[in-house]
Amino acid sequence: MKTTPPEIPSLPRPGPAVFPTALTALLVALSASGARGQDECLACHAEPGFEAAFANGDSRDVHVDREAWEASVHGQMGLSCTDCHTDISEYPHAEIPDRSARDFTLRLYTSCETCHEEQFQKTLDSVHQRQLAAGNKDAAVCADCHDPHVQKKITDPDTGALLPEGRIVIPRTCAKCHAEIQARYRESVHGADLAEGNSDVPTCIDCHGVHDIHDPRTAKFRLASPRMCADCHTDSKKMDRYGLSTAVLRTYVADFHGSTVTLFERQHPDQVTNKPVCYDCHGIHDIKSARDPEKGLQVKANLLVTCRKCHPDATANFPDAWLSHYVPTPEKNPLVYWARQLYNVLIPGVVGGMVLFVASDFVRRRRDRRRARRQRIEPS
Amino acid sequence: MSTPSFDPPRPGYARFARSDRVQHAVMALSFLVLAVTGLPQKFIYANNHVLDDTIDLLGGIEAVRVVHRWAATVLMLATVYHAVAVGYRTLVRRVRLSMMPRFQDVVDAWQSVRYNLGLAPQRPRMDRFTWEEKVEYWSLVWGTVVMIVTGFMLWNPIATARFLPGEFIPAAQVVHGGEALLAILAVLVWHFYAVHLRSFNRSMFTGRMDEHEMEEEHPLELERIQGGAEPEPDPLAVRRRERIFQPVATVVAVLLLAGIYWFVTFEQTAITTLPPSP
Repeated sequence: MKTTPPEIPSLPRPGPAVFPTALTALLVALSASGARGQDECLACHAEPGFEAAFANGDSRDVHVDREAWEASVHGQMGLSCTDCHTDISEYPHAEIPDRSARDFTLRLYTSCETCHEEQFQKTLDSVHQRQLAAGNKDAAVCADCHDPHVQKKITDPDTGALLPEGRIVIPRTCAKCHAEIQARYRESVHGADLAEGNSDVPTCIDCHGVHDIHDPRTAKFRLASPRMCADCHTDSKKMDRYGLSTAVLRTYVADFHGSTVTLFERQHPDQVTNKPVCYDCHGIHDIKSARDPEKGLQVKANLLVTCRKCHPDATANFPDAWLSHYVPTPEKNPLVYWARQLYNVLIPGVVGGMVLFVASDFVRRRRDRRRARRQRIEPS
Repeated sequence: MSTPSFDPPRPGYARFARSDRVQHAVMALSFLVLAVTGLPQKFIYANNHVLDDTIDLLGGIEAVRVVHRWAATVLMLATVYHAVAVGYRTLVRRVRLSMMPRFQDVVDAWQSVRYNLGLAPQRPRMDRFTWEEKVEYWSLVWGTVVMIVTGFMLWNPIATARFLPGEFIPAAQVVHGGEALLAILAVLVWHFYAVHLRSFNRSMFTGRMDEHEMEEEHPLELERIQGGAEPEPDPLAVRRRERIFQPVATVVAVLLLAGIYWFVTFEQTAITTLPPSP
């Protein structure tokens, strides 16, 4: 199917290494030559229970675990404390200008841009940044997801792809704020498999994106969502492993709901619609297998409940009007199968017959006219 | 069908009364609108730019669906009118059932095919309606019935699922789309060739045919007319039959119109749905 790619949050593409190496090398060189060394800082900050006080009464643990730091990606690269804490150059430190611990974080996270410009720029388009700009100081910034003092490398240095050990922690990272959603996700068919180390299943970022996370409550997200699901669910390599059909998108688009949604997505991606998309029936974060004996959509009563959300008068037969993603065969949905077969024969048969007769008639009449003309010219 | 009233002084032979021509125009117009609003819906999955743009040009998919239903309603009204008009002509005026298929039509068709292939010495000599015209008329009747029945199921899926298995609705979608494609292609090939390409047949606009055209297409009818005017039906008998027909036809027409009203207002699910409840 040919479509313009929707502007949806996407996985980071394997591409330039996530860590900009040239800049790092420069910083490492700088820190070796002039900037304050980490040992100097850790002389105090390695002490457990070391706290800083803020004007509003907050106190923050400013202790840095030396081992964890040294094992972290930043420690491994030989970064120095003052590479990020650029405002600290002497001891005793100058007065902290921030009223609260959160203000301190919000002032400091911009230093991430120095090395991680690409990721930082992406976050500027995110729903979190928009919240921050609107005055919500709790909106996530870099350090809320990636603690710079302990963050390990989570991408493959060669491909830039997320490592399995990186994937598995993502829901926990988002759960720092979105705990309720994570609890539902953990119980879902995807979340349960992720916990077992399966990296085929989607986690938060596969649908919501990473860094440039958009508001999922928009009409645009809704219209684009079937394609997100289809990314995996039309991938036969993945689906074969679980005995799942790859016809789910095709069969959805063939039906009224899916054709309307995909038409809007192609032509008016911001169009508001109440036509169901995948998650209206399958659930958003609590997606269950359709075969789930209790909650699965293969249980007709469950499907009827879903239909009635928009069609309150629907009766027991109504859910069968939707073929549940099955491609009609003589065994499954024979009525639809044979109707299709009938017209597959009838249309070429009837129209073909008509074309043959019309063609023979056309040729014959032309020959008759020519003969008549010849006879007029030379009457025998 | 023969016709009740014509303006006598005009030259040529009467073929279609004014009411026939109006019926044809209404039917053709609604057919065109149904095709233009229906095909892009059928082929949304094909991702065709021309069809997608047609939907956009007509005001979006929801508008297209509404227009399609309006055109369907017009076609249904035309169908009811036609049924009553045919009833009047056959039951009251007792005209010859010239559109009825007969075995002779099969013979004529076979002779046409053989003549075109050079296997018969001459074309069949045909009456008021040729076998080609009968094929077209009865295809239209059959197609309209199929489209109305399946259209009802698509328009009123919840009502349909009350008394039929749900699978009838996607089956109706397949039949509705298939029959539509068949009808459109048949009109493009059969109708366009027969009355526009082969020679332009103006009788559906003028109501009349000249002698040469009659000789070419309906020689048997011409012979009969030239052999002597058809006897006018006995006016008294006509009036007597009218007295029975009129009340019966009124009741039937009212029932059919009520049926159409019921059809188009039964449920709106297929166009407007409730916003999903949380």
